[in-house]
Amino acid sequence: MERELARERTLLRRKVSVAAVLTVLVMFSSLPHMLGLHSLAFLPLWFSSPWTQLILTTPVLFWCGRDFFTGAVSALRQHSADMNTLVAAGTGIAYLTSLFTTLFPQVLIAEGLPADVYYETVAVILTLVLLGRLLEARARGQTSEAIRLLLQLQPPTARVLREGQPVDVPVSLVVVGDLVQVRPGEKLPVDGVVEEGSSWVEESMLTGEPTPVAKAPGDAVIGASMNRSGSFTFRVSRVGGDTVLAQIVELVRQAQSSRTQVQRLADQVVGWFVPVVIALAIAAFVVWFLVSGNPVLAMLFLVSVLVIACPCALGLATPTSIMVASGKGAENGLIFRSAEALETAGKLRTVVLDKTGTLTRGQPEVTDFERLNGGGLPARTLLALTAAIESRSEHPLAEAIVTYARSQLKDGALPAVEGFEAVAGRGVQGSIAGQQVRVGTPRWFEELGIDTAALKPLVERLEAAACSVAAVVVDGRIEACFGVADPLKASSAAAVAALRRLGLQVVMLSGDARRTAEVVAAQVGIERVIAEVRPADKASVIRKLQEQGEGPVAMVGDGINDAPALAQADVGIAMGTGTDVAIAASDITLISGNLAGVPAAIELSRAAMANIRQNLFFAFAYNVAGIPIAAGLLFPLTGWLLSPMIAGGAMAFSSVSVVSNALRLRNFRPKPLPVAAS
Amino acid sequence: MTHLFAADLVKAEPLWRAIDQPVVLKALVATVGVLLIAWELWWFLGRHGGGVAARDGEAGVQDITITVDGGYAPSRIKVKAGRPLRLAFHRIDPSGCVAQVIFPDFHKTLDLPLDATTTLELPPTEAGSYPFHCGMNMVRGVLEVVD
Repeated sequence: MERELARERTLLRRKVSVAAVLTVLVMFSSLPHMLGLHSLAFLPLWFSSPWTQLILTTPVLFWCGRDFFTGAVSALRQHSADMNTLVAAGTGIAYLTSLFTTLFPQVLIAEGLPADVYYETVAVILTLVLLGRLLEARARGQTSEAIRLLLQLQPPTARVLREGQPVDVPVSLVVVGDLVQVRPGEKLPVDGVVEEGSSWVEESMLTGEPTPVAKAPGDAVIGASMNRSGSFTFRVSRVGGDTVLAQIVELVRQAQSSRTQVQRLADQVVGWFVPVVIALAIAAFVVWFLVSGNPVLAMLFLVSVLVIACPCALGLATPTSIMVASGKGAENGLIFRSAEALETAGKLRTVVLDKTGTLTRGQPEVTDFERLNGGGLPARTLLALTAAIESRSEHPLAEAIVTYARSQLKDGALPAVEGFEAVAGRGVQGSIAGQQVRVGTPRWFEELGIDTAALKPLVERLEAAACSVAAVVVDGRIEACFGVADPLKASSAAAVAALRRLGLQVVMLSGDARRTAEVVAAQVGIERVIAEVRPADKASVIRKLQEQGEGPVAMVGDGINDAPALAQADVGIAMGTGTDVAIAASDITLISGNLAGVPAAIELSRAAMANIRQNLFFAFAYNVAGIPIAAGLLFPLTGWLLSPMIAGGAMAFSSVSVVSNALRLRNFRPKPLPVAAS
Repeated sequence: MTHLFAADLVKAEPLWRAIDQPVVLKALVATVGVLLIAWELWWFLGRHGGGVAARDGEAGVQDITITVDGGYAPSRIKVKAGRPLRLAFHRIDPSGCVAQVIFPDFHKTLDLPLDATTTLELPPTEAGSYPFHCGMNMVRGVLEVVD
């Protein structure tokens, strides 16, 4: 594909050069006539003959401009009309008229008209349109640069251990389960898990995160990241199309293939555009013939209308901006799933942030363990009971409690649990050696009618410190209570400030108790908190915000637990972990899991949409203004008349300017995060 | 008004001079022009045939081959809803514009090498009209999915 495009561009460049040389000669040849002189001293008389111009122009039309004509004919057969149709019809008509004048000048002279030829017009139009096409092809190549750069990130070979010996093999031959060695300064070929050794790895090319990440045995590593200091060996977990890099490339490609709502409108216009322009051109001919009776004048207006119209500018207006913007996103670790995601993200008014895993690290730690009930049960027994029952739960708080209990008990055996049951949003229960054990929220125990008076002061203290509280009830008596806190991510407060600077309303959504949630919200500078929301209700909270007219609403959460809420939101933004592209329900994926990506994505969307609006405005305004001028509408009023040559030049450069404007997006840089006031 | 403009034109350069044409010729040019416009609009914008239906291939997959030459032949393709579809694009047009075909509703871009057949499989879809177009959005076709 690449090679084919390169060959095509070489041929195009050759055609432009030949056309340019011949056109300059034709221009010189027509110079005496243009200046209203019979001849110029430095040019021989034969050089200014229409026959010389005919000989010079014919190759421009039939060799350089051949594709316009073959394209126009095959399009005509398919009942479609495009750019080629307009250029071929415009230059073809001017050429045939000139040919007629060259062969039978007496016909015009008899009518009292000058026997003028318009070969230079034909040559200039074709040269300019070809040049425009060449510039546009070059610029369009740059719009897809991002994908090409991403694909180049993967090194061609990997050092695989085969029977204990390192062997360099092409990446395509690496299979899952292979052991791959990486030395300092080398790029990782595929995804895997570190087996031996440790190092710092730079993942910025994929995640946009500038700081290198420490890797030790058991840590996941991704292909295309750069090993900085140490050497290590990793076991391959994903190859080929399954790697993070391949998935990113595929997502960017998909986004670039989709279209925005604005584009749908522009597409409908483009479908009608060329036939309508042809109709206007014929109408211009008829009207000017009726008004002036001058067929040559009418022909010039016809040609001008045909060659000034530029449906290409309309067709290119949005796709080029989308190409550049989604590529730019990928460079910053922001993956847009579709053009519509880009479009909607620019219009957002409310951003809902999930607390756990989004604002916080999502790895809670036990900060407090308090025994109640006057020390009814020994601490070790309580920890063992709690750990046994919590080890069956998948809740992140449970994991923290089990880790804590195991570190205190220092012995692995936990008692067996019977009749385990998880009560969503409340807690877990089961029986151990005949004792009924429940671990859950104080609210659940209130609902069950258990006396929680002893718990109250403790809960207040813990919640004020932004801890979540899990109480332990054995046989209907409160026995102990855990305070679990989830530390904030370093960038959370600054990212929230950046979102507010963008004029967005920021809402925090949390399953925690109101007081705990409010403490966290205050730490990051969020005023509006929706707390005590069970996972299943997150989607309906989003729906309520949308119904209250606070939309479009974005939901930022992790791609798995928050999937329904992400799908309900106008824009679902999933926080990746850097090693896994969790994208199921999201419109935008932040590969790094850094919240700073949210304001960056919104800024990029706004920049892209502004760029698209400029392009569409320019393309529409250009055609709407250009066509009437070319049709001679202003001539009776102002005497303005557009030479077909200028019309051709204007057309060629209108699509070049649309593409160049889209390329300006390559300079996009997200604003640095503000220093958060905490 | 006509005479006013014509008078102005005479004053300009010789090229812009007005010529008294016989009324018959004027009428003829006007009639031919209007007919040409009508024909051209009918040819490009009118409906030409109800589209070509895809064949029923093995395992319920619907098959169709589309020739890419200046346009898509056929450009209006009828398929049944709820069944997978296999489109084979055969590109014989060297123009770079048609080197890609894009299905925006399916988020798919297909590169079409010259003088080769490239296939694209699409999942079963609901009834509706799904346009596709070349990389520059000038050459277009439509998938009409009907129940």
